[in-house]
Amino acid sequence: MLISVLVLGLAIAAHAVDWSAPEHELAHKIVALTGNAAISLSFENRSSLGRRDAEIIQNGLRGSLVAMGVQFVQNDPAAAKVVISFSENVTSYVWVAQVQKTGSDTAVVMVQVPRAASIRSARESVPINLRKVLLWSQAEQILDVAVLEENVRVAVLSPEKVFVYRIRGGNPALEGAAEISHSTPWPRDLRGRIVPAGDHMLDVYLPGIACHSSAGGAFILNCREENDPWPLIFASSGGAGTSSQVMAQAFFEASRNFFTGVETPPGGWLKIVPQFYSAALIPRDGDALWLFASVNGSIHIVDGAADRVTNLKWGSDLTSLRTSCGAGWQVLATSPVEDGSDSVRAYEVPERDPVAVSAAVDFSGPISALWAEAKGDSAVAIARNPETGNYEAFRLAVACGQ
Amino acid sequence: MKLFAWQWLAASSLLLAAVVASGETRPRYGGTLRIEMRAALSSLDPADRNVPDSFGRRNVTALIFDTLVTFDDTAHIKPALAESWQAAGQELRLHIRHDVKFHDGTSLTAETVAASLRFANPSWKVMAEPDSVTIQGDFSEEELLAQLTLSRNAIVKRDAGKVSGTGPFHIVDWQSGSRLTLAAEDNCWRGRPFLDSIAVEMGKSYHDQMTSLQLGRVDLIEVSPEQVRRISQEGRGIASSMPIELVALVFAREALSPEEQALRSALALSVDRTAIRDVLLQGAGEAAGSILPIWMSGYGFVFSSGVDLSKARQLRGQAATIPNWRLGYDTGDPLDRLLAERIALNAHDAGLALQTTSSPSPDLWIAHLPLEGDAWNSLGKLADQMGVPLTKRHGSLEELYAAEQAILKSGRIIPLLHLPASYVASPGLRNWRVRSEGTVSLDDAWLESARQ
Repeated sequence: MLISVLVLGLAIAAHAVDWSAPEHELAHKIVALTGNAAISLSFENRSSLGRRDAEIIQNGLRGSLVAMGVQFVQNDPAAAKVVISFSENVTSYVWVAQVQKTGSDTAVVMVQVPRAASIRSARESVPINLRKVLLWSQAEQILDVAVLEENVRVAVLSPEKVFVYRIRGGNPALEGAAEISHSTPWPRDLRGRIVPAGDHMLDVYLPGIACHSSAGGAFILNCREENDPWPLIFASSGGAGTSSQVMAQAFFEASRNFFTGVETPPGGWLKIVPQFYSAALIPRDGDALWLFASVNGSIHIVDGAADRVTNLKWGSDLTSLRTSCGAGWQVLATSPVEDGSDSVRAYEVPERDPVAVSAAVDFSGPISALWAEAKGDSAVAIARNPETGNYEAFRLAVACGQ
Repeated sequence: MKLFAWQWLAASSLLLAAVVASGETRPRYGGTLRIEMRAALSSLDPADRNVPDSFGRRNVTALIFDTLVTFDDTAHIKPALAESWQAAGQELRLHIRHDVKFHDGTSLTAETVAASLRFANPSWKVMAEPDSVTIQGDFSEEELLAQLTLSRNAIVKRDAGKVSGTGPFHIVDWQSGSRLTLAAEDNCWRGRPFLDSIAVEMGKSYHDQMTSLQLGRVDLIEVSPEQVRRISQEGRGIASSMPIELVALVFAREALSPEEQALRSALALSVDRTAIRDVLLQGAGEAAGSILPIWMSGYGFVFSSGVDLSKARQLRGQAATIPNWRLGYDTGDPLDRLLAERIALNAHDAGLALQTTSSPSPDLWIAHLPLEGDAWNSLGKLADQMGVPLTKRHGSLEELYAAEQAILKSGRIIPLLHLPASYVASPGLRNWRVRSEGTVSLDDAWLESARQ
């Protein structure tokens, strides 16, 4: 089932949790055991519920019990003793009431309360700002997201399908979906690209497969088994609304998760470099500086003269953007994954060594894709949120520092 | 300080993160993963009831075979070899995934699936249709789907004594009880694994496994619970599941009288589980009064795991005769021997007569029971082992509690501890993880030393 939320620049508003239904349910179960007799009531919190939530729930339970005619007493040996424990299991909060009536065995009643996902806040303010905006979120794996028309249409690439959504009043409505036909199983660590096209809606690149949408009418995807080079880097020729051109392409290994090392840079000539996971390009006068995340884990910097293996501690995903900030070209690079989280930072390359020009933007899970968008001045990063389990696509855009 | 269940989960994940940290590259293809394990499997058939259940067996099964459905990380059922399913009345129809091949090159068909399920569950009524199988019986959809996630219900093609699966690795060489070599299945429907092959050595003690790891002869080993703290302090890449193995005293038969039942309760009250955990197990696991660990049920604390010698003595004092119980244990396991001796001492303090024995037919024994990832599956399996009839096999949390209470009231079992399954890997093994149910996921594991 596809669960999707289009956020496109909207902030996520935190909301208070309504505990009243489970409070009432548990109170009802307790009263079924004790009747309206006076009870001695105590609580213990064995769960990850915060103190404030625990107090809110305690008050709610007391209120529900009072509304059902229960009175509370202390130190009355004749009264039923009720201990309510806030506990939890792998999926839910579990509230357990142990009811001890004089001369009887302890009776146990309980309710299960689904645990709401917590929401983390973003941070950061730095010279060159790397801004992170949630574009799309869904339970199904996302390989790439392309904004076809700003705030109007978006395409989502999943392992087996492409979905096109139209945004109406801030809400997404499915406009079309098309299967991606492939005769062999996908490789592990599946990667893919979806790119808006000039004379038709979009192109899709997957290992060993290339798809093109129909030029008009209903959304139809024509896929064929061929190894077209994937577009890597784009650059727009001017301001907003102007067209962009592909600055670099590379061939992807059909049964693996990396590029073969054969590049087709501007000019169309072939360039042989080590096998790599991702690449960034910085144009120089009459030449270009390439940065590769190679399959052996190292970052290579290649110019017209040499291939230099650096000791940069970057992740496997990098790309480059052409912007109006700083030196005009920035490299975005992921970090080595630590504690399960990830981050992206912007760099410039004034000489040959990259220099960080933004603070790191954090992601709660490892980034599985980082692709430059077709307009060239922003990128899409995909990460799986470990709290919700959803895949999330973010737009990363460089904003000039104040 | 209290350690909440959810915090435990977080702590467990952090421990795991220590293993998978420093992931500075995407996965690499290639290489041979070398594994050692304690279990010495005499058969690779997941439905062979002569092979004792163990995490090692489940790990091997998951490499070669697939089930129709599985549990995801949030304990919800997700499709595997079955793409979808519908329940109607007393029937569950499962639609079989297309374009899946067994390792022998033949296609996965509804007939093969039905034959596999019938073999594992002779009492089930399973019918094959062109693209689906229908299972009929007196069970709910949830109950049946949970059953289908079990390792024993993995889909197997059996042909002249050979087994073939659809999992990420196929069998290259199999020497019963000692050695297994697996190779990556290039056309696995879930995608070719990153590893080229896996070499498994079986029947290795914890000590031998650690020696092999230290000598660089192996990449992944099992770790005994009392070693976890020390290994963590050494900074090795260790990962543990949630507490998933139930260590319990199991009686050979039901109590024949209320007096005998009371004496068993006295024994349960006499065991100082916390001291056992703190001293013998070096703090690993949790003292248990319940069958299901708290992270799985949420209510486990209701069953007391505390020691109450005065009440134990009171119960013992009410008995006219005191039996001389013989407590069996795995004589090849040093930890089991220490456990047995400690329990005998505790029982003696309560005035009970308990002697450790290596006899093959003791009155009770220390059992290590690997639970399933699902609460109802765990209880159902245990109830079957204990011969305790359950009125329900799936239902609400309160019904789960009632089922657990029924098993405990039978007097056949006294829970002692819940232990995690722990593993250590060499630093070069990346992207492996331990599932909450105690098995290792190697689906996306890769070796740093591999060459693409």
